[in-house]
Amino acid sequence: MSTAVALRGIRKTYGKTTALDGLDLEVREGEFFCLLGPSGAGKTTTLKTVAGLELPDSGTVELGGKDMRGVEPYDRGVAMCFESYALYPHKSAYDNLASPLRSPRHRLPAAQARERIGEIAELLGISALLDRPVGRLSNGQRQRVALGRVLVRPARAFLLDEPLSHLDAKLRQQMRAELKAIGAVQHTTTLYVTHDSVEALALGDRIGVIRDGRIVQTGTREEIWYRPCDTEVARAFGRPRINLLPGVVTQDGGFRSADGKVELSVGAQAAPGTDVLIGLRPRDITLRGPGHELTGTVYVTEVLGRSVEVTVRLGEQQVSLVAPRPDTTGLRPDDPVRLSVRPENLLLFEADRPERPGRRIEKSA
Amino acid sequence: MSRTTSKKRLLGWLADAALILYFVFALFPIAWMVILSLKPANQLFSTYFSFSPTLDGYRTVLGDSEGIPFVRFFVNSLVVSLGAVALSLLVGLPAAYASARWRFKGSENLMFTLLSFRFAPELTVIIPLFVLYQKLGLFDTYVGMVWVLQLVTLPLIVWIMRSYFADLTPELEQAALLDGYTRKQAFFKVAIPLVKPGIAAVSLLAFIFAWNNFVFPLILTSNEAQTVTVGALSFLGGDRPKYNLTAAAALVSVVPPLLLALTIQRYLVRGLSFGAVKS
Repeated sequence: MSTAVALRGIRKTYGKTTALDGLDLEVREGEFFCLLGPSGAGKTTTLKTVAGLELPDSGTVELGGKDMRGVEPYDRGVAMCFESYALYPHKSAYDNLASPLRSPRHRLPAAQARERIGEIAELLGISALLDRPVGRLSNGQRQRVALGRVLVRPARAFLLDEPLSHLDAKLRQQMRAELKAIGAVQHTTTLYVTHDSVEALALGDRIGVIRDGRIVQTGTREEIWYRPCDTEVARAFGRPRINLLPGVVTQDGGFRSADGKVELSVGAQAAPGTDVLIGLRPRDITLRGPGHELTGTVYVTEVLGRSVEVTVRLGEQQVSLVAPRPDTTGLRPDDPVRLSVRPENLLLFEADRPERPGRRIEKSA
Repeated sequence: MSRTTSKKRLLGWLADAALILYFVFALFPIAWMVILSLKPANQLFSTYFSFSPTLDGYRTVLGDSEGIPFVRFFVNSLVVSLGAVALSLLVGLPAAYASARWRFKGSENLMFTLLSFRFAPELTVIIPLFVLYQKLGLFDTYVGMVWVLQLVTLPLIVWIMRSYFADLTPELEQAALLDGYTRKQAFFKVAIPLVKPGIAAVSLLAFIFAWNNFVFPLILTSNEAQTVTVGALSFLGGDRPKYNLTAAAALVSVVPPLLLALTIQRYLVRGLSFGAVKS
């Protein structure tokens, strides 16, 4: 597959702050690529750099294999949905949607434009709002109009900056499910920015994790989930968060927790005595199942509908796990409990250091 | 309880009285002008409030009798004030936009220099300007007046419009760029319509300043391009000062700014509060 969007070694500074610090990114033709990161990581700057609204201090932006240096935003053929919506406040919802179709570059005859806008409005559930000035729309409605203004026109790539963030929970879930089914989205390369890992996992053909102006890991959802490059990425995905227990590598490549209460054989590819963190995802720990066994005492349980989050004391550590409700009946605080975890679900990381989070260590088994 | 209400009522009356007093103080000069303008010439100095009112003063002023072409002064004022505002908008809107959107080396200094034109009293620059105008043939011309009034109107328009543009998020124009519009189209189709209330407010202010300007036409015009502010004074010359004619001329020259203010009042209220609140 050819590369639709490529950023190479992008640096961008605003005065003394570095927004992008040598960012590299490749999005393939037709792909739905999610860029995930906390606020301030450089997500919006990345999108605006692709769009040509921000010019990088160094590095190159390529669209369809062509260097975009000196190409104005209106000639790049990309459409962007702004996090602030950036709707024209003096126009109606309809006129906002029509704006690209009236521009010299994407002009459609009025009748065709009306039809196209009708389709998109239908798709986004805003047909009834088209006559309203955008000032009289709720934030969720504005966000959908902003998304519509992107989808209404053909584009080389869609750049979507948190396009679902202001919808209420139910609508967000529904739109998340529908977004990828929209025809325009299916055959247009999409670069989607979010801080919500659930959204990234649900939508992204591939996911890029951005931190401090760099991409730290790119991969499919399986790669990101099962082989996170470091503890930060592991923490970013999954709720409740991954359990990380500190310890050291033993002589035989096993793991022994700092308090000596937990020992697991993991086949760590690291020198004995190395400070490490072992990662256990809450949903990978079971109360009665195969794999390594750990014993602890119940600290607290919290019902989450059909499943229950159980926090268990393991020596001086606490781990949380999510188990089906029937498995947890009768569990009381301070009850002894036996946990099991499959060896393949164990993740091993170097210990976190102040300057960077601990990297994942390969296991032989 | 009745004590507090009566106390409140008393305070209310006192406040009303103070307001009325202030109104009398503020409006009396205008009332006096109206009275003066309606007096016949022979009762000018012998009466206060009881006299036989006549519109002769207005007839004389507007009829160009007494050898003073007041109507021409009036037209001159209109031409140079509107011309000055129009030129300032033409030059000032792009300047304000550019200075709000792009910071470059020395941009703040440039803006400050522009503002500093308003610091210097006009009288300090008027002599060199007079000499220049004589040499360049701009003395007593419309072009000369429109040009010199830029010192009054341009800094005002640039500085006020700059803050209006700065309050607009640049993402609106960025959205227009990505919709396929050029930068020029983004400016005219997105930025300008959104600052319309500001343009209305600042145009009115600039017009009033230009209209009321006295020193520049006093020194830089003689007859052809003279404006009402200076022209109204010519009725005071001669053997007997004709205060009734001056008053009538002054009242006539209040009409254009007043009309303009009333017509764009709707925008004005929105315009003056627009910059303060982010929508």
